[in-house]
Amino acid sequence: MNESDPTVAESAPTNAAPSFRGRGFRIFGLGLQDAIRYFFGGNASLAIILVLLICFFLGREGILFFPSHLRGLQDYRSAGQEFVDCLGEQIDTHTAFYSSANIAYFAEVNESSREEDEILRVVRGLLANTEAACRKSWHLLKRKLDEVSRMDAALADLEAADPARADLVAKREARQAEIEALRATLRTEAEAALAGKEVWKLGGDGRGLSKEDRERIREAVLFQAGPDAKEEHPWLAEVKKRSREKKASSSEGLVGFKETLKEIQDAIRPMRSLHGDLRKLAMENRAAINSYVTAPARRAAMLEGAAKAQDPAEKARFQAEADKVVLVAPDLVAMNAPFYGAVPKHGELSVALLGEMRKLQAALPEDGGNERAKEALRRSETLFKRFEGAVERNRGKVGQWRHDRRVPALSSLTSFVFGKQWITNSSWNDFYGLLPLFSGSFLIATIALVVSVPFSVAAAIYVNQLAPRREQNFVKPAIEFIGAIPSVVLGFFGIVVFGEALRAVSQIEWLSWVPGFPMTERLTILNAGLLLAFMSAPTIFTLVEDALENVPAAFAENSLAMGASKLQTVFRVIVPTAMSGVIAAILLGFGRIIGETMVVLLVAGNKIKIPDFSEGIGVIAQPAHTMTGIIAQELPEVDSGSLHWRALFIVGMVLFVIALAVNYAAQQVLKRFHKI
Amino acid sequence: MSEAADIGEAAVSENPFAARRLGHRRREKGVSLVLRLAAYFILGCAFYIFIDIIAKGAPVVFKAAPPFVNTEFFTKSPETLMTFETADGVFHKMNFPEYSRFKEKNPGLEIVEEHSHAFSGGGIFGPLVGTALLTGICIVVAFFIGLTTAIYLNEYSSKGRFMDAIRLAIMNLAGVPSVVYGLFGLGLFCLVAPVITTDPKADALFTLRILFTDRYLSFQGWGTCMLAGGFTLAVMILPVIITACEESLKAIPSGFREASLALGATKWQTIAKSVIPYAFPGMLTASVLGITRVAGETAPIMFTAALSHKDKLPWEAADSLGGFFAQSVQAMPYHIYTVAARIPQSEYTKPMQYGSVFVFLLLVMGFAGLSVFLRIHYRKKIKW
Repeated sequence: MNESDPTVAESAPTNAAPSFRGRGFRIFGLGLQDAIRYFFGGNASLAIILVLLICFFLGREGILFFPSHLRGLQDYRSAGQEFVDCLGEQIDTHTAFYSSANIAYFAEVNESSREEDEILRVVRGLLANTEAACRKSWHLLKRKLDEVSRMDAALADLEAADPARADLVAKREARQAEIEALRATLRTEAEAALAGKEVWKLGGDGRGLSKEDRERIREAVLFQAGPDAKEEHPWLAEVKKRSREKKASSSEGLVGFKETLKEIQDAIRPMRSLHGDLRKLAMENRAAINSYVTAPARRAAMLEGAAKAQDPAEKARFQAEADKVVLVAPDLVAMNAPFYGAVPKHGELSVALLGEMRKLQAALPEDGGNERAKEALRRSETLFKRFEGAVERNRGKVGQWRHDRRVPALSSLTSFVFGKQWITNSSWNDFYGLLPLFSGSFLIATIALVVSVPFSVAAAIYVNQLAPRREQNFVKPAIEFIGAIPSVVLGFFGIVVFGEALRAVSQIEWLSWVPGFPMTERLTILNAGLLLAFMSAPTIFTLVEDALENVPAAFAENSLAMGASKLQTVFRVIVPTAMSGVIAAILLGFGRIIGETMVVLLVAGNKIKIPDFSEGIGVIAQPAHTMTGIIAQELPEVDSGSLHWRALFIVGMVLFVIALAVNYAAQQVLKRFHKI
Repeated sequence: MSEAADIGEAAVSENPFAARRLGHRRREKGVSLVLRLAAYFILGCAFYIFIDIIAKGAPVVFKAAPPFVNTEFFTKSPETLMTFETADGVFHKMNFPEYSRFKEKNPGLEIVEEHSHAFSGGGIFGPLVGTALLTGICIVVAFFIGLTTAIYLNEYSSKGRFMDAIRLAIMNLAGVPSVVYGLFGLGLFCLVAPVITTDPKADALFTLRILFTDRYLSFQGWGTCMLAGGFTLAVMILPVIITACEESLKAIPSGFREASLALGATKWQTIAKSVIPYAFPGMLTASVLGITRVAGETAPIMFTAALSHKDKLPWEAADSLGGFFAQSVQAMPYHIYTVAARIPQSEYTKPMQYGSVFVFLLLVMGFAGLSVFLRIHYRKKIKW
């Protein structure tokens, strides 16, 4: 196609003017140029098609999910499981109350022997550590010792005059010498391991222990480090004995408390046994219902097998199997009769339980002797209120429960969106509630934003407005470069380095005012939030920087000409003008954070439970699960097309909707404020 | 308040050009310092992460003696690492195949303290190959669609509803979380996408018999394979590629097109001869940027392509071209996920973890650096 090239066209005047050439080959009035045009247009419309396809594939599972979810909810009710779970909630709240009171009791008892327990704890930790450090020589020594004992046995068998005896004795001598040498090495190794300062931290930091105690602990650990230390170090044995005695004497003063605890435990017994019986029944009911639901499919499969089978014997076998499938609907009324029968008994039990528990709760000591006991008692009070509420509520619920009441169609949606449990692969009943996942995602994203926004906005203001050119040229690409770090690498860093470091920092004493500190877990909401803050910083930084860049230079010039200082110009003129961009950046950063998968999957701790907000901001020290994490974790292990599989697709759809909403909001913000 | 005081003072001061009061300036400096520290804090965090990974990863990858690189790490696929002690107290550490050979050779050997560490031995050749294949497929697909879309948007289209719809779609695609792309890829490419086969699966969405042959066009999906993974990744980076290609097309002065059209060239000739060649460097940069994004993604390939363990390399296991693309592969990010979170941790898994992360980070950051370099290079070179 040389004639199109401008240079050639100029130097080739013999060519006819291109525009007067024939119109070329056409089909249905479409020429080559149109075909090319439509080819490009077709590819461009792929973007629309892809969005529609994403909507379709997520939406299809949604349309399929909600009916089967509704069916599951209905079965849960028809089988009487809903009834049983009402009782279950009463029992669970009771258990929570009891265990809290129990903690208070043991905190009181153990208070007297705290010193001894601390020593024992330190010794245990140190022993484990020393053993790990000298594992190799320990094993070697053990082997040698075994060998010697074998030799001894052989020697005992041999006659005194046996010529082999002298040989063996010599060998034994040699081994014995080796053993002594090994003992020495083991001891030096153990001493070396104990010399390290961190060792004390491992076994508890030994704070509060006197110098003599520390010395004795060292002795005892060294004594017990060898493989042939059969008995305990006498001092340790003494400490143990003392601890036991102290505990015994202090529990004497708390006999009343203990009695009350026992009575609390006894009070729930009748309810528990009723619950156990009904639970078994409900389980059988559910199995019957499930088998009825799947019966037609099983029968069809067998019949198909029979149709396909070549061998007549096999055909007959398939046919027989198919005939065996029961297609009769289970009798729900008969099945649920025991539950209706149990209602009066349950009512009586509830009233009795509540009365007795009120009495017992009043009998609990008002105030604990130490901090831990006090704390536990205070918590047990709130837990008791929860228990009371649960008993009252469920008594009403049980009375009104009907197995054949239809579950409203909308509750298929509401029990998904507001469901407090996400339980799968359970033998009892699967629950698909979004709240535990959503709250985890939301908390992590909030922390990430709270940390990330100040840093990245400040950095953007500095780089765009205040930094000298040269510094700008270095800092800007460097921060943008961070955005290229793959998220799985950050997650890895969080799991291997950052989690441990964060926990170590949280143990520092003067930081204990920070909510949630000291942390016991390594993988927590805070850990994930901080890593995501780091990850989203480049995104927010870049967008804010762009927004600041777009503020017309005249604004700054005017402000400066009016005598404002540089900082006044920045904070009163430029940043307010770019505010829409900043807000859009924060929104888009939020979208990026909530959609992030690998970091939260690796670092957030993956515990499917609504975080316990009773500690206020301290909730950040707990592990959580997220919407993105659950998809990545569970999807590879689920059968495609199952209810669980679809539930995961719905979680994906929620994410998709959130992403679209955030995107839309960011666009609107930009549009509304962009008319400067 | 302070301004008012300033003005008042300036009014009585003899020299109106005198410097402001010191406190004011000091505050300005202080605030500026705080902002500056925020910027450097972010960089400091990044620096710390890099240093940690380099310090612990480099010793795995490099060694002191020639050839200075741990060749085994780059030529073998991940294997189970066995550690054990023989009765004489000698400690051994070897990969599983060696271990079985060792046991065969010394049948009477008493082994104590035996531990196996999954995925901790061998090297990362398999995952590297897998990532290269996935990225390759993805870039080819995404670049083709992205380039044509960008050409349409920039050269052909006129403002209208269709254009708005496309722009809206692209914008929305850009914000979708990567794990949702994984779900989408699973739903479309793995379970529904069409294949041509002689015996279609029973659970296919629907099948069409191709006329005059015994083959069927069966919508049964490609299964978990590198093709599905590559296409999923391609869909994911499509917005990035489209935007970048469009930018580079926009940068071509319209005079180029006008001149070409004025000389009688057709639209297509204009685009092919006097637009694309000049926009090419920008597009190259875009695709390198795309590689950076794609190589690091884990979530979209988790359900569509990746496998934590595979004995054979892709070309060893395939018998035909179709079979080659229809197998699942190991991939670097998925491998890192596996060794970081799905195996029990011990001191022997550390080298594999840090080695893989170090190489992976080096690769991704290398590509990121390359894209920055290309951008600057071509910006300097081309001037109109």
